[in-house]
Amino acid sequence: MSSVISARGLTKRYGKRIAVDGIDFEIPAGRIVGLIGPNGSGKTTTLKAALGLVPFEGHLEVLGFDPRTQRDDLMQDVCFIADVAILPRWLRVKDAVDFVEGVHPRFNRERAERYIANTKLEPGMKVRQMSKGMIVQLHLALVMAIDARLLVLDEPTLGLDIIYRKQFYQNLLEDYFDEQKTIVITTHQVEEVEHILTDLMFIRDGRIVLAASMEEVGERYIEVMVSQDKVSAANALQPIDRRTVFGKSVMLFDSAGGVSRQQLAALGETRNPSVADLFVATMKGTYA
Amino acid sequence: MNTKTMKWLLQREFWEYKGSMFWAPLIVAGLLVLLMGGGLLYGLGQHFPSRLTIDGHTLESGGHTVRVAIDLQHKIARVASSAYLGAAAPLFALMAVVIFSYCLGTLHDERRDRSILFWKSLPVSDGMTVLSKAATAMIVAPLITIVLATVSSLLLLFVLCLAVSLNGVHMFGIVLASPDLYLSPLRLLALLPVYVVWALPTVGWLMLVSSWARSKPILWAVGVPLIGLLVVKWATFAMDNLAGEPSNLMHYASGAAARILTGVVPGIWYSFTGAPAALRPSDDGFDPGSLLTSSYGTLATADAWIGFAIGAAMLYAAMRLRRYRDEG
Repeated sequence: MSSVISARGLTKRYGKRIAVDGIDFEIPAGRIVGLIGPNGSGKTTTLKAALGLVPFEGHLEVLGFDPRTQRDDLMQDVCFIADVAILPRWLRVKDAVDFVEGVHPRFNRERAERYIANTKLEPGMKVRQMSKGMIVQLHLALVMAIDARLLVLDEPTLGLDIIYRKQFYQNLLEDYFDEQKTIVITTHQVEEVEHILTDLMFIRDGRIVLAASMEEVGERYIEVMVSQDKVSAANALQPIDRRTVFGKSVMLFDSAGGVSRQQLAALGETRNPSVADLFVATMKGTYA
Repeated sequence: MNTKTMKWLLQREFWEYKGSMFWAPLIVAGLLVLLMGGGLLYGLGQHFPSRLTIDGHTLESGGHTVRVAIDLQHKIARVASSAYLGAAAPLFALMAVVIFSYCLGTLHDERRDRSILFWKSLPVSDGMTVLSKAATAMIVAPLITIVLATVSSLLLLFVLCLAVSLNGVHMFGIVLASPDLYLSPLRLLALLPVYVVWALPTVGWLMLVSSWARSKPILWAVGVPLIGLLVVKWATFAMDNLAGEPSNLMHYASGAAARILTGVVPGIWYSFTGAPAALRPSDDGFDPGSLLTSSYGTLATADAWIGFAIGAAMLYAAMRLRRYRDEG
């Protein structure tokens, strides 16, 4: 099987409002994809459609299953953290581990216990006694111990402090991920995930505005620290974004627009843009 | 059907509703034993009547010894050993309340606290989840109640025997030898299938409302049938006056409303089909065996199975709602 998720003309309407507007995309196996878009852009709706949580129109196949009609089969191989999901308040840490072990054939108890041991969680603790961060830690420990072929993380680290967030993404990459697995992440903290992503998908107003591997992004987008005397020459090459840092102009170019790397190197120091800068530039409306 | 998953789903329901399913009946059972048992001991110990007339036989107490005719002694023991479970009636009343509120809350609570998205991230189908909740309501909760009722009633029977034996009436032997003592709990267990058939319309309706209502499921669950009744009442009133022909519509409507709201009350099947002779007090106390046969007799009515089918359909609808409802 080539694609883990394959969408063609995926559309989701809420009454008259179109949340997802006929998008096409393919996500191959063994990738870590960042699905990035502003609030209300349709990213959560897209993920919900893929997880069989909402009905939709168009064609969508996840691990070869139709999420509308084959959700029960699909869930054997998929795990997810939904952005608004919360663990029930009455659940105890040890009961949660027992339950997931009982119902999930791919759950690794030792692994979950190892993650839990790294936190302040106690086996007898109930969710109602936990801080927001601790609840997320428990949820992540459970999910990371499931050997799923597709893992969908919708804002997985909300409420976590930065130390744990860094550690989580490191575990995700080193412990969890391998070539058989696929991870789709959405988050507002783009700078924390960009070094682990293999692919990038920008979504805006229910449409995909950029879908590329990180290598392609690195080749295609070039940021130039333009020297003072070459600003007008640089502007002539139609940068997709420009900003000023300490009095210096920083411009972002799309080499698909016809400018070459050599041309740009003549204007000043070149480098790869950060995903956050690229995202801001893309979402501005100057380029869509 | 994966039985291991089902076992964990039932366990999960028990964790969540341990307070109302287990602790509440346990506390009530404890209070029953304490208050009724204490009352028996105190009443019979301190104030055992010197002349007691039971069923036309007069007991004379000479000092503390009461000479009771052997056949009367047998009669008391038989009544005690066949009807002792009646002492636990408050537990069954509590059970009806607990099951009602459980069914109304269970599919609503998981949507309200958004834990539904966690449960749905695991390989557990909606059908199995809804089934586990229905089984918790109609099988697990009654089983817990039957066990607690049996234990507490046996304790009370023991206290009664103890109290009268202090006064010289020895019933232990007769009570222990009475087959009814052992058969009564089994009869309760045997009634469970009858209970499921009559409870399903109510369980189905309440769980359907629970999975459908955005808020305040209790208002929908009770309000819809009541408003429906009002509408029917008004319509029949108009029809009776215009057509001059009395219709039976109101009769059916109130029957349906009763079925979807009171089906979880144990023994309610008699009110749906007419009380049998066995429930009326007879010369011999009452015959618990006939309670069983008359209960199963209610299953011979078409009403029982029409309700069962409608209940099952509502449960299915609750499952479909849980499957496709977008939780925002």
